[in-house]
Amino acid sequence: MSSSRFVRLVALAGVVVFALGACSGSSGSGGKASDGASSGSGGSNLCPVSALAKASGPVTITFWHGLNRANEETLQKLVDQFNGQQTKVKVNLVNQTGYEEILRKWVAGLGTNELPDLAQMEDTATQQMIDTQSIVPVADCIKADHYDTSDFVGRVLERYNVDGKLYPMPFNVSNPVLYYDKNAYRAAGLDPEKPPTTLAEVKTDAAKIKALGYQTGFGLKLNPWYLEQWASKADHLFVDHENGRKGRATKVLFDDEAGQATFAWMKDMVDSGLARTNPDSGPNAFDNLLGIRSKVQGMTIDSSASLGTVSQVLASGEGGGVELGVGPMPGPTGAGGVLVGGGALYMSKTSTPEKIAATWEFVKFLVSAQTQATFAAGTGYVPIRKSSVNEKVLADLYASTPGYKVAYDQLLSGKDDVATAGPVIGNYAGVRDVVRDAETKMLAENGDPKAAIKAAAIAATAAIQDYNTRIGK
Amino acid sequence: MTSSRTRRRRREASLGYLMLLPALVIFAVFIFYPFLRNFQLGFYLNPPFPNLPKRWVGFDQYRDILGSDSFISSLKTTVAFAFMTVPAGIGLGLALAVTANRRLRGIGVYRTIFSSTVATSVAVAAVIFSMLFNPIVGLLPWLGISPTPPIIENPNLALAAVALVTVWQTLGLTFILLSAGLQAIPEDLYEAAQVDGAGPNTRFWRITIPMLSPTLFFAVVIGSIHAFQSFGQIDIITSGGPFKRTNVLTYSIYGELNGTNGPPNPGKAAVLAIALFAITLGLTAVQMRVLERRVHYAR
Amino acid sequence: MRADSKSGRRLRTFGSYAILTVLAFIVLFPIYITVVNSLLRPVDIASRPPVFFPLHPKWSSYVDAWNGGHMSKYLVNSFIVTIAITVGQVVTAILAGYAFAFLEFPFKRSLFVVFLATLMVPFEVTVVTNLDTVRTLGWFNTYQGLAVPFLATGFGAFLVRQAFLQVPRDLSDAAALDGYGHWRFMTRVAVPIARPAVAALTVFGFLGAWNQFLWPLLATKDDKLRTVQIGLKTLRQTSLNDVNVTFAGAVIAVIPIAILLLAFQKHLVRGLTAGAVKG
Repeated sequence: MSSSRFVRLVALAGVVVFALGACSGSSGSGGKASDGASSGSGGSNLCPVSALAKASGPVTITFWHGLNRANEETLQKLVDQFNGQQTKVKVNLVNQTGYEEILRKWVAGLGTNELPDLAQMEDTATQQMIDTQSIVPVADCIKADHYDTSDFVGRVLERYNVDGKLYPMPFNVSNPVLYYDKNAYRAAGLDPEKPPTTLAEVKTDAAKIKALGYQTGFGLKLNPWYLEQWASKADHLFVDHENGRKGRATKVLFDDEAGQATFAWMKDMVDSGLARTNPDSGPNAFDNLLGIRSKVQGMTIDSSASLGTVSQVLASGEGGGVELGVGPMPGPTGAGGVLVGGGALYMSKTSTPEKIAATWEFVKFLVSAQTQATFAAGTGYVPIRKSSVNEKVLADLYASTPGYKVAYDQLLSGKDDVATAGPVIGNYAGVRDVVRDAETKMLAENGDPKAAIKAAAIAATAAIQDYNTRIGK
Repeated sequence: MTSSRTRRRRREASLGYLMLLPALVIFAVFIFYPFLRNFQLGFYLNPPFPNLPKRWVGFDQYRDILGSDSFISSLKTTVAFAFMTVPAGIGLGLALAVTANRRLRGIGVYRTIFSSTVATSVAVAAVIFSMLFNPIVGLLPWLGISPTPPIIENPNLALAAVALVTVWQTLGLTFILLSAGLQAIPEDLYEAAQVDGAGPNTRFWRITIPMLSPTLFFAVVIGSIHAFQSFGQIDIITSGGPFKRTNVLTYSIYGELNGTNGPPNPGKAAVLAIALFAITLGLTAVQMRVLERRVHYAR
Repeated sequence: MRADSKSGRRLRTFGSYAILTVLAFIVLFPIYITVVNSLLRPVDIASRPPVFFPLHPKWSSYVDAWNGGHMSKYLVNSFIVTIAITVGQVVTAILAGYAFAFLEFPFKRSLFVVFLATLMVPFEVTVVTNLDTVRTLGWFNTYQGLAVPFLATGFGAFLVRQAFLQVPRDLSDAAALDGYGHWRFMTRVAVPIARPAVAALTVFGFLGAWNQFLWPLLATKDDKLRTVQIGLKTLRQTSLNDVNVTFAGAVIAVIPIAILLLAFQKHLVRGLTAGAVKG
């Protein structure tokens, strides 16, 4: 086919299409205007808690969750319990296979008003969800219902509190802990009850484990979350404007001595062969626990949320001579503490008043001391209420398997301030992506830690500003 | 008389349009309209959420995106990927086709095996290989192929790993295509060459390759276009990583649309889609001209 | 002399088999090891040296993939969408091919060029707006959303038109004399003659639809609508502790299409080569 004929062909196609396009029209004409009342401005209360009483029949609500299969079972049981113990609300649980997917689908649903009544999202989603102007802040429900939150773990509420307002209801809380093989510790002549607490200790222990003939000492998951955790443990801010809690964050602050030290530590661990990396997200994001079980490495840092799954596997007799120990997340010494990770529950503003009220009823059930205890015991998540640890199911578990309690205890230790409340960022995913890439690149291409974190800071700030521009701020 | 013929003609014409209508409607709505709307989308800075207003920025967005480092590197990655998959795929497919192109008992079984990867999809192949590459459960690390960082996270190996998967997955298809081409070559050509004393090498280069050139040409064009549209294997094996080293154009479009690295940006996705179209078009045109000439020469 | 050439031929035959067998082994190995791994416990999959034969096959991984991994649902979805697309493509291709081959009307050539122009626009280029369109129509996460955008292809119309052009003119003239309408001529004469092309298009369309990845990934949101390919990706993302289930899922995904291909091998070859022959 000659090129001139080709050009003619395309041009012709274009003409025809313009004609056809004129008929088909309309389907792409921009977004709908937002419906006025901004949920952030605090004026009217968006939570009609009394509407459920007026509903004639049972109100069915949809709840999107992103838990894995093992944890979903526990959640499903709780939902069944709720559906069985009362007749006014019926909850329809939908698995959306992950937090990212839920946020994506929520955003997609904004254009078509296909939102669930309740959605579980990662702690990173807060600012974006506020910006979508599509949620009922739970602060409104708490106020309208005179709901008492004094029993909640303080840092958990602070995590989701922006400009003095609680937006989602915290639900499943986790934070990173150290997993290690006690048998490996014994074999290496280390005290199996004294896991490392600082990054320097991780290195010395890893060296001893590697000397046993392990491929490597420490499984280093390249999770940008850890950089945030380490900043928080050092009691440093991650972004400006008080971690984005007093005004919108416009730039990152992690390129400080604490950040540089953690980058340098990662590089040192990998260079000396004491750590092997694996990605935290995307298709190769496996937990490092199979690596411990198959004795590739002796320890790793991973989310406490994995504990439930791990215990199930170990209980099934596939442990392979490994005795799993759990310790607090090692990190820089400082006055801070670990950040709250995990998920929180967002209520849709587009639901009918009856559904919003029904959703609030269900939310209250999910965060009751009893439910939180059952959920924590079944999944390994940390309960968000202090009284939950007194519930029998959880008290028994903590007594028999102290590993489960580590994540809870470390959440109560250290200062509660804006640093340990953690950052609130519009383009959180973009910032994490930049940090992840910077770490991976530094380790794969033998980069300089200081240069790497500096480049990461510049790119992360650009990502934040790009988002802010698009949002018109 | 004439009026009845006109009527019949008119009826035939309307029947013709009616028969084309279903396809034309689909094309208009799902191919031409979205194709053209890309250009319009590119003029606006899009909000991350569809319920917020968008802003006219004209050609700025085109300039910013097409001139950005990330676009250039994505483009380079895509081209590198095509160079890794197309020649290797066709070379291997040809080797299999030539090997299987002889009269032996049970050759049908071998032919079936060689074409067996057609039964796999990109997703199946990607899932299988990503497991084989995995440093903990995979076989390749056990075979001593155990680089640090592991294959899929290795900036120097990840793209090649995805290319390997692609070559394997398309091998069956290439084999079937080239086998059919080989079988169409008249037997007497070889016999005549043998009488003239031509060895197997000579026969391959002087008869097989020239006679097969139209098929090879087709395979190269189709293979390149496919390479530029590769998506599933990237998504499953690397998700564009490590640090965007496998972020081919199609994947970057998906990333912007899907909000993989931050909130979705349809405007940016549209500009990238236009670039993908232009490249595919240019590629086809260039290949048509260059390869077509060479094919004729060989004849 | 004669014995020499005979043993030489035998040696060469043996060599051919050896090469063929080695190549077959290489091509098949990934599939073989997938089957093996699907029958092992995750710990055994990770063991070194690897297990190459499952002495104690653990079939439960297939049950897990089928039920817990939702493969049963994914397969049904894939079949529904694929069959809808295949039927749609064949019908629209026959209609358009017939019009281009047997009917006369103004702008026929231009319209044919429009059909060919669709081949120049990769689907990836259109996803941005198609996603919006499907959402606006309320087709997001529905079977129609997955199928309708693919109900017609320029390639199909082209293929069928070429086959129709081979129908002898005498036949259509005779049909006109006998008072056959276009509809009857198409279904009774033209399509049966073009059957090889239609069959090739069917197999080709089926395979293409079955293997789709990008669109079903974008246009679905839950297990109710996910196809096998996307389901596999979901399975792949589960923990390494369930890696045997992922392998079992891959095997389940291959089986139906392998059976179909064995049955329709000939048509696939014809579909593939149809483009090549025309150049």
